[in-house]
Amino acid sequence: MTSHGPAHAHADVLIADCGDSALVAKAVGLDTEAAWRLVHALADALDAVRLPGVHDVVPAYDALLVEFDCTATDHATVRRVLAHEAARLGPDPAPTTPPRRFLVPVVYGGEHGPDLPTVAAQLGLAESEVVALHSGADLTVRCLGAPAGAPMTDGPAFPRPVPRLASPRTRVDPGSVAVAGRQAVICPMPSPGGWPLLGRTPVRVLDLHSDPITAYRPGDIFRFRPITPDQWDDYADLPLAHCADSADQAGLAACHG
Amino acid sequence: MADTLTIRTPGIATVQDLGRVGRSRYGLPANGAVDQHSARVANVLCGNDEHAPLLEITALDFACVPSADILVAVTGAPADVTVAGVPHPQWEPVPVRAGETLRVTGIRHGLRVYLAVLGSFEAARLQGSCAPDTILGFGPPLREGDELALRASCPPVDHPYSRIPLFRLNAPVPPFPTTVPTTWTIDVTDGPDRAEFGDTGRRLFDAPFTVSPQSNHIGLRLHGSTVPRRVTQGELLSRGVPIGAVEVPAGDELLVLHRGRGVTAGYPVLAVVTATGLSALGQVRPGQTVRFRHRTLDQAVTAHRTQRSAVAALRTRVRTAFDSLRIRAPLGG
Repeated sequence: MTSHGPAHAHADVLIADCGDSALVAKAVGLDTEAAWRLVHALADALDAVRLPGVHDVVPAYDALLVEFDCTATDHATVRRVLAHEAARLGPDPAPTTPPRRFLVPVVYGGEHGPDLPTVAAQLGLAESEVVALHSGADLTVRCLGAPAGAPMTDGPAFPRPVPRLASPRTRVDPGSVAVAGRQAVICPMPSPGGWPLLGRTPVRVLDLHSDPITAYRPGDIFRFRPITPDQWDDYADLPLAHCADSADQAGLAACHG
Repeated sequence: MADTLTIRTPGIATVQDLGRVGRSRYGLPANGAVDQHSARVANVLCGNDEHAPLLEITALDFACVPSADILVAVTGAPADVTVAGVPHPQWEPVPVRAGETLRVTGIRHGLRVYLAVLGSFEAARLQGSCAPDTILGFGPPLREGDELALRASCPPVDHPYSRIPLFRLNAPVPPFPTTVPTTWTIDVTDGPDRAEFGDTGRRLFDAPFTVSPQSNHIGLRLHGSTVPRRVTQGELLSRGVPIGAVEVPAGDELLVLHRGRGVTAGYPVLAVVTATGLSALGQVRPGQTVRFRHRTLDQAVTAHRTQRSAVAALRTRVRTAFDSLRIRAPLGG
Protein backbone atom coordinates (compact mmCIF):
# COMPACT_ATOMS: atom_id res chain seq x y z
CA MET A 1 0.00 0.00 0.00
CA THR A 2 1.94 2.99 -1.21
CA SER A 3 -0.59 5.72 -0.49
CA HIS A 4 -0.69 5.45 3.30
CA GLY A 5 2.61 3.83 4.04
CA PRO A 6 4.90 4.65 6.94
CA ALA A 7 6.58 8.01 7.17
CA HIS A 8 9.45 8.18 4.72
CA ALA A 9 12.24 10.65 4.28
CA HIS A 10 12.52 12.66 1.12
CA ALA A 11 15.43 15.05 0.92
CA ASP A 12 15.32 16.80 4.32
CA VAL A 13 11.64 16.31 4.98
CA LEU A 14 9.84 13.49 6.77
CA ILE A 15 6.15 13.26 5.86
CA ALA A 16 3.75 11.57 8.27
CA ASP A 17 0.00 10.96 8.27
CA CYS A 18 -1.91 13.17 10.66
CA GLY A 19 -5.41 11.74 10.55
CA ASP A 20 -7.69 11.32 7.54
CA SER A 21 -7.52 15.01 6.57
CA ALA A 22 -3.94 16.15 7.23
CA LEU A 23 -0.27 15.38 6.76
CA VAL A 24 2.67 16.76 8.68
CA ALA A 25 6.00 17.45 7.01
CA LYS A 26 8.90 17.67 9.44
CA ALA A 27 12.33 19.04 8.59
CA VAL A 28 15.00 16.61 9.74
CA GLY A 29 18.77 16.73 9.98
CA LEU A 30 18.88 20.51 9.76
CA ASP A 31 19.76 23.14 12.35
CA THR A 32 16.94 25.13 13.94
CA GLU A 33 17.25 28.08 11.58
CA ALA A 34 17.42 25.99 8.40
CA ALA A 35 14.54 23.75 9.50
CA TRP A 36 12.37 26.80 10.16
CA ARG A 37 13.29 28.34 6.79
CA LEU A 38 12.51 25.11 5.00
CA VAL A 39 9.02 24.55 6.46
CA HIS A 40 8.01 28.14 5.74
CA ALA A 41 9.33 27.98 2.18
CA LEU A 42 7.48 24.68 1.77
CA ALA A 43 4.26 26.32 3.02
CA ASP A 44 4.71 29.14 0.49
CA ALA A 45 5.40 26.62 -2.28
CA LEU A 46 2.31 24.59 -1.43
CA ASP A 47 0.16 27.74 -1.32
CA ALA A 48 1.49 28.68 -4.76
CA VAL A 49 0.67 25.25 -6.22
CA ARG A 50 -3.01 25.60 -5.17
CA LEU A 51 -3.49 21.87 -5.06
CA PRO A 52 -7.24 21.10 -5.23
CA GLY A 53 -8.60 19.94 -1.88
CA VAL A 54 -5.75 21.43 0.17
CA HIS A 55 -7.23 24.25 2.23
CA ASP A 56 -4.79 25.13 5.01
CA VAL A 57 -1.06 25.09 5.72
CA VAL A 58 0.37 25.77 9.18
CA PRO A 59 4.16 26.19 9.24
CA ALA A 60 5.67 26.51 12.72
CA TYR A 61 9.30 25.79 13.79
CA ASP A 62 10.37 22.49 12.27
CA ALA A 63 7.03 21.15 11.05
CA LEU A 64 4.38 22.02 8.49
CA LEU A 65 0.78 20.86 8.94
CA VAL A 66 -1.13 20.48 5.67
CA GLU A 67 -4.92 20.18 5.96
CA PHE A 68 -7.08 18.92 3.12
CA ASP A 69 -10.49 17.53 2.24
CA CYS A 70 -9.90 13.82 1.71
CA THR A 71 -13.04 13.61 -0.44
CA ALA A 72 -11.42 16.07 -2.88
CA THR A 73 -7.84 14.74 -2.87
CA ASP A 74 -5.92 11.95 -1.13
CA HIS A 75 -2.89 11.45 1.09
CA ALA A 76 -0.78 10.04 -1.74
CA THR A 77 -1.31 13.08 -3.97
CA VAL A 78 -0.54 15.58 -1.21
CA ARG A 79 2.51 13.54 -0.14
CA ARG A 80 3.82 13.44 -3.68
CA VAL A 81 3.47 17.20 -4.14
CA LEU A 82 5.04 17.91 -0.73
CA ALA A 83 8.00 15.63 -1.50
CA HIS A 84 8.40 17.17 -4.94
CA GLU A 85 8.36 20.74 -3.61
CA ALA A 86 10.75 19.81 -0.79
CA ALA A 87 13.18 18.30 -3.28
CA ARG A 88 12.88 21.36 -5.53
CA LEU A 89 13.55 23.75 -2.63
CA GLY A 90 16.53 21.83 -1.25
CA PRO A 91 17.79 22.08 2.32
CA ASP A 92 18.47 25.80 2.37
CA PRO A 93 15.82 27.75 0.45
CA ALA A 94 15.99 31.54 0.19
CA PRO A 95 13.12 33.49 1.77
CA THR A 96 10.34 34.13 -0.76
CA THR A 97 9.74 37.67 0.46
CA PRO A 98 12.20 40.08 2.06
CA PRO A 99 11.56 40.61 5.79
CA ARG A 100 9.84 43.75 7.03
CA ARG A 101 10.73 45.42 10.31
CA PHE A 102 8.17 46.70 12.79
CA LEU A 103 8.93 49.20 15.55
CA VAL A 104 6.51 48.33 18.33
CA PRO A 105 6.01 50.83 21.19
CA VAL A 106 5.71 49.18 24.61
CA VAL A 107 4.93 50.52 28.08
CA TYR A 108 7.00 48.31 30.39
CA GLY A 109 6.18 47.36 33.97
CA GLY A 110 3.49 48.72 36.25
CA GLU A 111 -0.09 47.73 35.49
CA HIS A 112 0.86 46.93 31.88
CA GLY A 113 3.71 44.57 32.76
CA PRO A 114 2.88 43.12 36.17
CA ASP A 115 5.47 40.33 35.97
CA LEU A 116 8.46 42.54 35.15
CA PRO A 117 9.73 42.55 38.78
CA THR A 118 9.37 38.76 39.10
CA VAL A 119 11.11 38.09 35.78
CA ALA A 120 13.93 40.47 36.73
CA ALA A 121 14.38 38.67 40.05
CA GLN A 122 14.35 35.24 38.35
CA LEU A 123 17.01 36.38 35.89
CA GLY A 124 19.08 38.17 38.55
CA LEU A 125 18.79 41.44 36.61
CA ALA A 126 17.49 44.92 37.30
CA GLU A 127 14.10 45.68 35.72
CA SER A 128 15.81 48.24 33.48
CA GLU A 129 18.21 45.55 32.26
CA VAL A 130 15.31 43.25 31.36
CA VAL A 131 13.70 46.12 29.41
CA ALA A 132 17.02 46.93 27.71
CA LEU A 133 17.46 43.31 26.59
CA HIS A 134 13.85 42.94 25.43
CA SER A 135 13.90 46.18 23.45
CA GLY A 136 17.56 46.16 22.46
CA ALA A 137 17.61 43.62 19.65
CA ASP A 138 15.70 42.69 16.51
CA LEU A 139 13.49 39.66 17.21
CA THR A 140 12.43 37.45 14.31
CA VAL A 141 8.80 36.33 14.01
CA ARG A 142 8.93 32.52 13.80
CA CYS A 143 5.27 31.68 13.40
CA LEU A 144 1.77 32.90 14.05
CA GLY A 145 0.26 30.99 16.90
CA ALA A 146 -2.76 30.65 19.08
CA PRO A 147 -4.72 32.60 19.96
CA ALA A 148 -5.50 34.29 16.67
CA GLY A 149 -2.40 35.38 14.81
CA ALA A 150 -0.15 35.90 17.84
CA PRO A 151 3.38 36.74 16.59
CA MET A 152 5.72 34.19 18.19
CA THR A 153 9.22 35.66 18.10
CA ASP A 154 12.62 34.58 19.31
CA GLY A 155 13.16 35.57 22.90
CA PRO A 156 15.53 38.35 23.98
CA ALA A 157 19.12 37.48 24.95
CA PHE A 158 18.24 36.76 28.58
CA PRO A 159 20.86 34.80 30.56
CA ARG A 160 18.44 31.85 30.91
CA PRO A 161 14.94 30.73 29.98
CA VAL A 162 12.00 32.43 31.69
CA PRO A 163 9.68 30.04 33.59
CA ARG A 164 5.95 30.09 32.87
CA LEU A 165 3.58 31.32 35.56
CA ALA A 166 2.68 28.70 38.15
CA SER A 167 -0.94 29.73 37.77
CA PRO A 168 -2.01 31.00 34.33
CA ARG A 169 -4.10 34.17 34.15
CA THR A 170 -7.70 33.72 33.09
CA ARG A 171 -7.49 36.94 31.09
CA VAL A 172 -4.56 38.69 29.45
CA ASP A 173 -5.21 42.14 27.96
CA PRO A 174 -4.76 42.56 24.21
CA GLY A 175 -1.36 43.99 23.31
CA SER A 176 0.32 42.36 26.28
CA VAL A 177 3.98 41.63 25.64
CA ALA A 178 5.03 38.33 27.18
CA VAL A 179 8.05 36.03 27.38
CA ALA A 180 8.49 32.35 28.25
CA GLY A 181 11.36 29.94 27.80
CA ARG A 182 13.40 31.47 25.01
CA GLN A 183 10.38 32.88 23.21
CA ALA A 184 8.48 36.16 23.16
CA VAL A 185 5.00 37.05 21.96
CA ILE A 186 2.43 39.81 21.73
CA CYS A 187 -1.04 38.64 22.79
CA PRO A 188 -3.34 40.08 20.13
CA MET A 189 -6.70 39.38 21.73
CA PRO A 190 -7.98 39.06 25.29
CA SER A 191 -7.33 35.45 26.25
CA PRO A 192 -6.11 33.22 29.07
CA GLY A 193 -2.33 32.97 29.29
CA GLY A 194 0.49 31.47 31.33
CA TRP A 195 3.37 33.58 30.05
CA PRO A 196 4.87 36.31 32.27
CA LEU A 197 3.89 39.82 31.11
CA LEU A 198 6.64 42.43 30.73
CA GLY A 199 4.58 45.24 29.22
CA ARG A 200 1.85 46.17 26.81
CA THR A 201 1.68 47.86 23.45
CA PRO A 202 -1.11 50.34 22.73
CA VAL A 203 -1.11 49.54 19.00
CA ARG A 204 -3.75 47.30 17.44
CA VAL A 205 -1.98 44.03 16.63
CA LEU A 206 -4.63 42.50 14.34
CA ASP A 207 -6.88 43.99 11.71
CA LEU A 208 -9.79 41.59 11.64
CA HIS A 209 -11.25 43.19 8.53
CA SER A 210 -8.20 42.89 6.33
CA ASP A 211 -7.11 39.65 4.71
CA PRO A 212 -4.78 38.43 6.08
CA ILE A 213 -5.55 39.74 9.55
CA THR A 214 -1.87 40.31 10.35
CA ALA A 215 0.42 42.94 8.83
CA TYR A 216 3.40 40.75 9.73
CA ARG A 217 4.40 37.28 8.64
CA PRO A 218 6.98 34.75 9.76
CA GLY A 219 10.45 36.04 8.96
CA ASP A 220 9.53 39.64 9.72
CA ILE A 221 11.33 41.45 12.52
CA PHE A 222 9.96 43.12 15.64
CA ARG A 223 11.91 45.74 17.53
CA PHE A 224 10.25 46.76 20.78
CA ARG A 225 10.62 50.41 21.78
CA PRO A 226 10.00 51.59 25.35
CA ILE A 227 7.52 54.44 25.76
CA THR A 228 6.24 56.06 28.93
CA PRO A 229 2.71 55.47 30.26
CA ASP A 230 1.68 59.01 29.35
CA GLN A 231 2.61 58.33 25.71
CA TRP A 232 0.02 55.50 25.61
CA ASP A 233 -2.72 57.66 24.08
CA ASP A 234 -0.41 58.79 21.25
CA TYR A 235 -0.40 55.23 19.92
CA ALA A 236 -3.71 53.89 21.19
CA ASP A 237 -5.41 51.76 18.55
CA LEU A 238 -2.87 52.63 15.85
CA PRO A 239 -2.77 49.66 13.45
CA LEU A 240 0.47 47.71 13.77
CA ALA A 241 0.84 48.02 9.99
CA HIS A 242 1.65 51.70 10.57
CA CYS A 243 4.64 50.68 12.66
CA ALA A 244 6.44 49.06 9.74
CA ASP A 245 9.90 50.50 9.25
CA SER A 246 9.19 50.77 5.54
CA ALA A 247 5.69 52.20 5.98
CA ASP A 248 4.59 55.61 4.79
CA GLN A 249 6.15 58.60 6.50
CA ALA A 250 3.04 59.35 8.57
CA GLY A 251 3.12 55.87 10.02
CA LEU A 252 6.83 56.06 10.64
CA ALA A 253 6.50 59.43 12.30
CA ALA A 254 3.74 58.10 14.52
CA CYS A 255 5.79 55.13 15.60
CA HIS A 256 9.01 57.04 16.09
CA GLY A 257 7.01 59.39 18.36
CA MET B 1 -39.07 45.55 4.31
CA ALA B 2 -37.32 42.20 4.20
CA ASP B 3 -38.99 39.21 5.77
CA THR B 4 -37.48 38.02 9.00
CA LEU B 5 -37.13 35.07 11.30
CA THR B 6 -37.66 36.34 14.84
CA ILE B 7 -36.06 34.50 17.74
CA ARG B 8 -38.56 33.94 20.56
CA THR B 9 -36.69 31.49 22.81
CA PRO B 10 -32.96 31.60 22.08
CA GLY B 11 -31.71 28.93 24.49
CA ILE B 12 -28.09 28.62 23.39
CA ALA B 13 -28.17 29.26 19.65
CA THR B 14 -25.75 30.83 17.20
CA VAL B 15 -25.57 31.57 13.51
CA GLN B 16 -23.13 29.06 12.03
CA ASP B 17 -21.71 27.72 8.82
CA LEU B 18 -19.09 25.10 8.01
CA GLY B 19 -16.30 27.37 9.22
CA ARG B 20 -13.42 29.57 8.24
CA VAL B 21 -11.02 27.82 5.90
CA GLY B 22 -7.66 28.99 4.59
CA ARG B 23 -6.81 31.16 7.62
CA SER B 24 -4.93 28.67 9.81
CA ARG B 25 -1.70 30.13 8.56
CA TYR B 26 -2.64 33.40 10.22
CA GLY B 27 -3.48 31.70 13.48
CA LEU B 28 -7.24 31.67 12.97
CA PRO B 29 -9.03 28.47 14.01
CA ALA B 30 -11.56 26.97 11.59
CA ASN B 31 -14.55 26.96 13.93
CA GLY B 32 -17.94 26.35 12.28
CA ALA B 33 -20.61 23.75 13.03
CA VAL B 34 -19.27 21.26 15.55
CA ASP B 35 -21.33 18.48 13.93
CA GLN B 36 -20.42 19.20 10.31
CA HIS B 37 -22.45 16.30 8.93
CA SER B 38 -25.75 17.36 10.51
CA ALA B 39 -25.17 20.99 9.47
CA ARG B 40 -24.39 19.97 5.91
CA VAL B 41 -27.51 17.78 5.66
CA ALA B 42 -29.77 20.53 7.08
CA ASN B 43 -28.73 22.90 4.30
CA VAL B 44 -28.95 20.24 1.60
CA LEU B 45 -32.50 19.38 2.75
CA CYS B 46 -33.39 23.02 2.09
CA GLY B 47 -31.76 23.03 -1.34
CA ASN B 48 -29.10 25.42 -0.04
CA ASP B 49 -25.40 25.57 -0.67
CA GLU B 50 -23.89 23.48 2.11
CA HIS B 51 -21.87 26.49 3.30
CA ALA B 52 -24.99 28.66 3.77
CA PRO B 53 -25.60 30.22 7.21
CA LEU B 54 -27.85 28.16 9.49
CA LEU B 55 -28.56 27.93 13.22
CA GLU B 56 -26.74 25.73 15.72
CA ILE B 57 -28.94 25.09 18.76
CA THR B 58 -27.16 23.62 21.78
CA ALA B 59 -28.94 21.61 24.50
CA LEU B 60 -31.70 24.08 25.42
CA ASP B 61 -35.21 24.67 24.03
CA PHE B 62 -35.53 27.06 21.12
CA ALA B 63 -38.39 28.84 19.33
CA CYS B 64 -38.69 31.24 16.40
CA VAL B 65 -41.38 32.77 14.18
CA PRO B 66 -41.02 33.69 10.48
CA SER B 67 -42.80 36.68 8.96
CA ALA B 68 -43.15 34.83 5.64
CA ASP B 69 -43.91 31.27 4.58
CA ILE B 70 -40.67 29.28 4.73
CA LEU B 71 -39.32 25.78 4.44
CA VAL B 72 -36.95 24.57 7.16
CA ALA B 73 -35.02 21.42 8.02
CA VAL B 74 -33.97 20.36 11.52
CA THR B 75 -31.14 17.85 11.92
CA GLY B 76 -28.67 16.82 14.62
CA ALA B 77 -29.58 15.40 18.02
CA PRO B 78 -33.07 13.93 18.51
CA ALA B 79 -35.56 16.58 19.66
CA ASP B 80 -39.25 17.46 19.50
CA VAL B 81 -39.95 19.70 16.50
CA THR B 82 -43.34 21.39 16.32
CA VAL B 83 -44.89 23.98 14.02
CA ALA B 84 -47.91 25.73 15.55
CA GLY B 85 -47.99 22.88 18.05
CA VAL B 86 -48.06 20.11 15.44
CA PRO B 87 -45.17 17.61 15.58
CA HIS B 88 -42.94 17.32 12.53
CA PRO B 89 -40.04 15.01 11.68
CA GLN B 90 -36.37 15.90 11.82
CA TRP B 91 -34.13 15.18 8.81
CA GLU B 92 -36.92 16.19 6.37
CA PRO B 93 -37.98 19.59 4.95
CA VAL B 94 -40.83 21.13 6.97
CA PRO B 95 -43.05 24.03 5.79
CA VAL B 96 -43.70 26.82 8.30
CA ARG B 97 -46.40 29.43 7.54
CA ALA B 98 -45.89 33.11 8.30
CA GLY B 99 -46.63 33.78 11.96
CA GLU B 100 -46.47 30.14 13.07
CA THR B 101 -44.10 29.25 15.90
CA LEU B 102 -41.39 26.69 15.16
CA ARG B 103 -40.20 25.02 18.34
CA VAL B 104 -37.27 22.71 18.99
CA THR B 105 -37.53 21.25 22.49
CA GLY B 106 -36.36 18.28 24.51
CA ILE B 107 -32.95 17.88 22.83
CA ARG B 108 -31.75 14.45 24.00
CA HIS B 109 -29.12 11.75 23.50
CA GLY B 110 -26.97 14.29 21.65
CA LEU B 111 -26.13 17.95 22.23
CA ARG B 112 -26.59 20.02 19.08
CA VAL B 113 -29.44 20.61 16.63
CA TYR B 114 -29.11 22.36 13.27
CA LEU B 115 -31.87 24.45 11.73
CA ALA B 116 -31.57 25.53 8.10
CA VAL B 117 -34.03 27.69 6.16
CA LEU B 118 -34.61 27.47 2.42
CA GLY B 119 -32.64 30.36 0.92
CA SER B 120 -30.86 30.94 4.26
CA PHE B 121 -30.68 34.38 5.90
CA GLU B 122 -28.35 37.37 6.02
CA ALA B 123 -25.40 36.91 8.36
CA ALA B 124 -22.40 39.06 9.24
CA ARG B 125 -19.17 37.54 8.00
CA LEU B 126 -15.61 37.73 9.23
CA GLN B 127 -12.75 36.36 7.15
CA GLY B 128 -15.14 34.60 4.80
CA SER B 129 -17.38 32.93 7.37
CA CYS B 130 -20.23 33.71 9.76
CA ALA B 131 -18.99 31.09 12.26
CA PRO B 132 -18.59 32.49 15.78
CA ASP B 133 -15.03 32.87 17.05
CA THR B 134 -15.01 33.27 20.81
CA ILE B 135 -11.39 34.45 20.88
CA LEU B 136 -12.07 37.23 18.37
CA GLY B 137 -15.38 38.01 20.07
CA PHE B 138 -17.26 37.48 16.80
CA GLY B 139 -20.73 35.96 16.44
CA PRO B 140 -22.53 36.45 19.75
CA PRO B 141 -25.26 34.01 20.85
CA LEU B 142 -28.76 34.87 19.62
CA ARG B 143 -31.03 36.75 22.00
CA GLU B 144 -34.79 36.93 22.37
CA GLY B 145 -36.18 39.34 19.79
CA ASP B 146 -33.26 39.06 17.37
CA GLU B 147 -34.44 39.19 13.77
CA LEU B 148 -32.64 37.36 10.96
CA ALA B 149 -33.33 38.76 7.49
CA LEU B 150 -34.61 35.92 5.30
CA ARG B 151 -33.15 35.74 1.83
CA ALA B 152 -36.13 33.93 0.35
CA SER B 153 -39.61 32.78 1.13
CA CYS B 154 -41.27 29.55 0.07
CA PRO B 155 -44.91 29.50 -1.02
CA PRO B 156 -46.99 27.12 1.09
CA VAL B 157 -46.54 23.56 -0.05
CA ASP B 158 -49.93 21.88 0.16
CA HIS B 159 -50.03 18.16 0.09
CA PRO B 160 -53.24 16.72 -1.37
CA TYR B 161 -53.33 13.89 1.16
CA SER B 162 -53.37 15.04 4.72
CA ARG B 163 -51.65 13.00 7.46
CA ILE B 164 -49.05 11.75 5.02
CA PRO B 165 -45.57 13.15 5.48
CA LEU B 166 -44.81 15.67 2.77
CA PHE B 167 -41.28 14.46 2.17
CA ARG B 168 -39.55 11.11 2.50
CA LEU B 169 -36.06 11.98 1.40
CA ASN B 170 -34.24 9.34 3.41
CA ALA B 171 -31.47 11.64 4.63
CA PRO B 172 -28.35 9.93 6.05
CA VAL B 173 -29.08 10.05 9.80
CA PRO B 174 -26.08 9.15 11.97
CA PRO B 175 -26.62 6.89 15.01
CA PHE B 176 -27.44 8.52 18.35
CA PRO B 177 -26.87 6.05 21.21
CA THR B 178 -29.92 5.78 23.46
CA THR B 179 -28.62 3.39 26.09
CA VAL B 180 -28.06 4.53 29.67
CA PRO B 181 -25.31 5.24 30.49
CA THR B 182 -24.73 6.57 27.01
CA THR B 183 -21.55 5.44 25.31
CA TRP B 184 -20.40 6.76 21.95
CA THR B 185 -18.01 4.95 19.66
CA ILE B 186 -15.56 7.46 18.22
CA ASP B 187 -13.21 6.44 15.42
CA VAL B 188 -9.55 7.49 15.50
CA THR B 189 -6.45 6.81 13.43
CA ASP B 190 -2.89 6.73 14.75
CA GLY B 191 -1.47 10.18 15.40
CA PRO B 192 1.94 11.35 14.17
CA ASP B 193 3.41 10.88 17.67
CA ARG B 194 1.95 7.40 18.32
CA ALA B 195 5.45 5.99 18.85
CA GLU B 196 6.07 8.40 21.75
CA PHE B 197 3.57 6.43 23.84
CA GLY B 198 4.99 2.94 23.38
CA ASP B 199 2.72 0.18 24.66
CA THR B 200 0.65 2.63 26.73
CA GLY B 201 -0.94 3.96 23.54
CA ARG B 202 -3.25 0.93 23.56
CA ARG B 203 -4.87 2.23 26.75
CA LEU B 204 -6.83 4.61 24.54
CA PHE B 205 -8.89 1.61 23.42
CA ASP B 206 -8.95 -0.41 26.65
CA ALA B 207 -11.69 1.42 28.54
CA PRO B 208 -14.23 4.18 28.03
CA PHE B 209 -13.52 7.82 28.86
CA THR B 210 -15.98 10.26 30.41
CA VAL B 211 -16.50 13.71 28.88
CA SER B 212 -15.92 16.49 31.40
CA PRO B 213 -18.17 19.57 31.71
CA GLN B 214 -15.12 21.65 30.72
CA SER B 215 -15.68 20.72 27.10
CA ASN B 216 -16.72 22.95 24.24
CA HIS B 217 -16.17 23.68 20.55
CA ILE B 218 -12.47 24.30 21.22
CA GLY B 219 -11.84 20.91 22.72
CA LEU B 220 -13.20 18.12 24.87
CA ARG B 221 -11.62 16.98 28.11
CA LEU B 222 -12.04 13.32 28.92
CA HIS B 223 -11.27 11.43 32.11
CA GLY B 224 -10.27 7.79 32.25
CA SER B 225 -9.01 5.28 34.75
CA THR B 226 -5.87 4.50 32.78
CA VAL B 227 -4.60 7.10 30.36
CA PRO B 228 -1.75 6.61 27.89
CA ARG B 229 1.63 7.96 28.97
CA ARG B 230 4.38 9.42 26.91
CA VAL B 231 7.46 7.21 27.25
CA THR B 232 9.94 9.55 25.54
CA GLN B 233 11.58 12.64 26.99
CA GLY B 234 12.22 16.16 25.74
CA GLU B 235 10.22 19.27 24.97
CA LEU B 236 8.27 19.32 21.74
CA LEU B 237 8.41 22.49 19.68
CA SER B 238 5.03 24.10 19.04
CA ARG B 239 3.62 22.96 15.73
CA GLY B 240 0.38 22.91 13.79
CA VAL B 241 -2.08 20.37 15.15
CA PRO B 242 -5.10 19.04 13.27
CA ILE B 243 -8.72 19.26 14.36
CA GLY B 244 -9.35 15.96 16.13
CA ALA B 245 -5.89 15.70 17.68
CA VAL B 246 -5.95 13.51 20.81
CA GLU B 247 -3.43 15.02 23.21
CA VAL B 248 -2.32 13.73 26.58
CA PRO B 249 -1.30 16.76 28.65
CA ALA B 250 -0.98 15.40 32.22
CA GLY B 251 -2.90 13.72 34.97
CA ASP B 252 -5.81 11.47 34.11
CA GLU B 253 -7.08 13.62 31.27
CA LEU B 254 -7.17 13.43 27.51
CA LEU B 255 -7.72 16.52 25.42
CA VAL B 256 -9.41 16.16 22.04
CA LEU B 257 -9.13 19.29 19.93
CA HIS B 258 -12.24 20.33 18.02
CA ARG B 259 -13.02 23.02 15.44
CA GLY B 260 -12.24 26.03 17.63
CA ARG B 261 -8.77 24.75 18.50
CA GLY B 262 -5.75 27.03 18.43
CA VAL B 263 -3.79 26.04 15.34
CA THR B 264 -0.52 25.37 17.17
CA ALA B 265 0.17 23.32 20.29
CA GLY B 266 3.06 21.52 21.94
CA TYR B 267 1.70 18.22 23.26
CA PRO B 268 2.36 14.92 21.48
CA VAL B 269 -0.55 13.78 19.30
CA LEU B 270 -1.37 10.15 20.12
CA ALA B 271 -4.32 9.75 17.76
CA VAL B 272 -6.53 11.82 15.47
CA VAL B 273 -10.32 11.57 15.47
CA THR B 274 -11.61 10.81 11.98
CA ALA B 275 -13.75 13.27 10.01
CA THR B 276 -16.90 11.23 10.64
CA GLY B 277 -15.86 10.74 14.27
CA LEU B 278 -15.56 14.53 14.74
CA SER B 279 -19.19 15.05 13.72
CA ALA B 280 -20.25 12.38 16.22
CA LEU B 281 -18.00 13.88 18.91
CA GLY B 282 -19.77 17.20 18.33
CA GLN B 283 -22.88 15.54 19.77
CA VAL B 284 -21.38 14.04 22.93
CA ARG B 285 -22.75 15.56 26.12
CA PRO B 286 -20.70 16.16 29.26
CA GLY B 287 -21.07 13.11 31.50
CA GLN B 288 -21.51 10.72 28.60
CA THR B 289 -18.76 8.26 27.80
CA VAL B 290 -16.67 7.71 24.72
CA ARG B 291 -15.08 4.49 23.58
CA PHE B 292 -12.37 5.05 20.99
CA ARG B 293 -12.16 2.64 18.05
CA HIS B 294 -8.97 2.23 16.06
CA ARG B 295 -9.33 2.62 12.29
CA THR B 296 -6.79 2.48 9.53
CA LEU B 297 -6.37 5.56 7.39
CA ASP B 298 -8.07 3.77 4.50
CA GLN B 299 -11.07 2.87 6.66
CA ALA B 300 -11.35 6.46 7.89
CA VAL B 301 -11.11 7.98 4.41
CA THR B 302 -13.61 5.47 3.05
CA ALA B 303 -16.09 6.22 5.84
CA HIS B 304 -15.84 9.95 5.18
CA ARG B 305 -16.26 9.51 1.42
CA THR B 306 -19.25 7.22 1.96
CA GLN B 307 -20.88 9.79 4.23
CA ARG B 308 -20.26 12.62 1.77
CA SER B 309 -21.56 10.53 -1.15
CA ALA B 310 -24.76 9.95 0.79
CA VAL B 311 -25.14 13.71 1.18
CA ALA B 312 -24.53 14.22 -2.55
CA ALA B 313 -27.17 11.60 -3.36
CA LEU B 314 -29.57 13.33 -0.97
CA ARG B 315 -28.99 16.60 -2.82
CA THR B 316 -30.17 14.92 -6.03
CA ARG B 317 -33.32 13.57 -4.34
CA VAL B 318 -34.04 17.01 -2.85
CA ARG B 319 -33.74 18.61 -6.27
CA THR B 320 -36.13 16.08 -7.79
CA ALA B 321 -38.65 16.52 -4.98
CA PHE B 322 -38.42 20.32 -5.10
CA ASP B 323 -38.83 20.31 -8.89
CA SER B 324 -41.98 18.20 -8.68
CA LEU B 325 -43.42 20.52 -6.02
CA ARG B 326 -42.27 23.63 -7.95
CA ILE B 327 -40.10 24.77 -5.03
CA ARG B 328 -37.30 26.97 -6.22
CA ALA B 329 -34.10 26.64 -4.22
CA PRO B 330 -32.55 30.10 -4.50
CA LEU B 331 -28.95 29.11 -3.86
CA GLY B 332 -29.13 26.15 -6.17
CA GLY B 333 -26.85 23.22 -5.67
